[in-house]
Amino acid sequence: MTNILKVEDIHVYYGAIHAIKGVSFQVGEGEIVTLIGANGAGKTTTLQTVSGLLRARSGGIEFCGEPIGRVPAHKIVERGLAQVPEGRRIFLRMTVQENLEMGAYTNNRDVADALDYVYAQFPRLKERRRQIGGTLSGGEQQMLAMGRALMSRPKLMMLDEPSMGLAPILVEQIFEIIANLHKNGTTILLVEQNAQMALSVADRAYVMETGKITLSGTGKELAASEEVKKAYLGG
Amino acid sequence: MNFLNFLISGVSLGSVYAIIALGYTMVYGIAKMLNFAHGDVIMVGAYVCFFAISRYSLPPLLGVLLAVLLCTVLGIVIEKLAYKPLRAAPSLAVLITAIGVSYFLQNAAQLLWTSNPKVFPSFLDFGETGGIELFGGQLRVSYITIVTIAACVVIMLALTAFTGNTKMGKAMRACSEDKGAAQLMGINVNTTISVTFAIGSGLAAIAGVLLCSAYPTLVPTTGSMPGIKAFTAAVFGGIGSIPGAFLGGLLLGVIEILAKAYISTQLSDAIVFAVLIVVLLIKPTGLLGKPVNEKV
Repeated sequence: MTNILKVEDIHVYYGAIHAIKGVSFQVGEGEIVTLIGANGAGKTTTLQTVSGLLRARSGGIEFCGEPIGRVPAHKIVERGLAQVPEGRRIFLRMTVQENLEMGAYTNNRDVADALDYVYAQFPRLKERRRQIGGTLSGGEQQMLAMGRALMSRPKLMMLDEPSMGLAPILVEQIFEIIANLHKNGTTILLVEQNAQMALSVADRAYVMETGKITLSGTGKELAASEEVKKAYLGG
Repeated sequence: MNFLNFLISGVSLGSVYAIIALGYTMVYGIAKMLNFAHGDVIMVGAYVCFFAISRYSLPPLLGVLLAVLLCTVLGIVIEKLAYKPLRAAPSLAVLITAIGVSYFLQNAAQLLWTSNPKVFPSFLDFGETGGIELFGGQLRVSYITIVTIAACVVIMLALTAFTGNTKMGKAMRACSEDKGAAQLMGINVNTTISVTFAIGSGLAAIAGVLLCSAYPTLVPTTGSMPGIKAFTAAVFGGIGSIPGAFLGGLLLGVIEILAKAYISTQLSDAIVFAVLIVVLLIKPTGLLGKPVNEKV
């Protein structure tokens, strides 16, 4: 299996605060990899560093064999790395379809095909395509955020807390969609606080604590690990 | 009939405010900053047009185009040199920088062109009256009034179509909502901000030419008061909203002229701002500004 994403010993600072203290991990092509951990462990910071919104002070990030640590965020999408940000961050004043068009901003060739693909994955979005983003329900907004990221036809999709703020039934739905996307060939890096759900779909998992990776293994191994059970699975 | 005359000159002045306010509101919407130098770009545009027509005897249309072109470049340069390095700075720092740029432009104009007033050429005075007479001469609408109002309407419609239908226009709206998310879409935020400044400054040049055609005294501070009024208009209509800037500009112009005509010339500005305060007390987001209802 070839590594599509390789993060090597990155250190990220917010001013004087050392937020990420030497994190390394890999995502192989076709995998679902999850990064779990408590609030404030540095999961979102790690993702934002990979997608270029934040810069690592040291360490390396390679995507498809090329270093991307110094590439501006808007150029990273073009290379096939899309992020579904924490809190969804859809464009609330734009219509569903316009949101999706923004997702295809760097994709000049097959916007129509990409739209068809996303609407096939999320029929709900098609029904609401003329609606303003801000009027969607939380679950629909999460679907829109995921659909928007898919519009660039990414090789790797990074999802940041897709279950945040959603009712349990919607969480299950979102995870079904993630499993589906994976089945259709999208490689996924998933950041979650909902460790149980995340571990149930993941091929491999990393546990983050205060800016470091403390444990790693297959999804099953970690789900069975006493430490993880105690800290994250409520038992 | 007098009232109609006042109303028309109010709409005409309001159209100039609206064109300036459109630039203010777009820059605010996307860069989230108040570009207080915007009013002084108007002045630069007017000077460029003045020199092109009066000194170098260029055809008026060419003079206007030259003014638009130079101001567009000026807007991009100001943004690159003064505001871009402060992208991550607190908004107060950016605000003070904008005030600094404003004084810089005024003083540069004073140095280059002296503070002696220039008389702006009236290149739209065709025929004997320079306008159309209606109702047997009781109502006179000058060509400059007609051109000003028409320009404002065309600009508003063009901007609405641009932001609603083009890829760049939609990218601007995306940036105005969430720059981080826009970057994740692959939108180059810096380019988008540059384009916004270019459009706003080009519009400021047009506003400068129209303003000085109606009020032909041109001095280095010509742009500052209309700039502040237009900023007021943008807030009045709901800052960030294009139709809001249009409506706010028109209303402000009409209120100002009617207050001058019927209440007091000296108090007209006070009345304008009093109306603004009342509107903001009742509707803090301005007339057309909408708070976003965010569902979580």
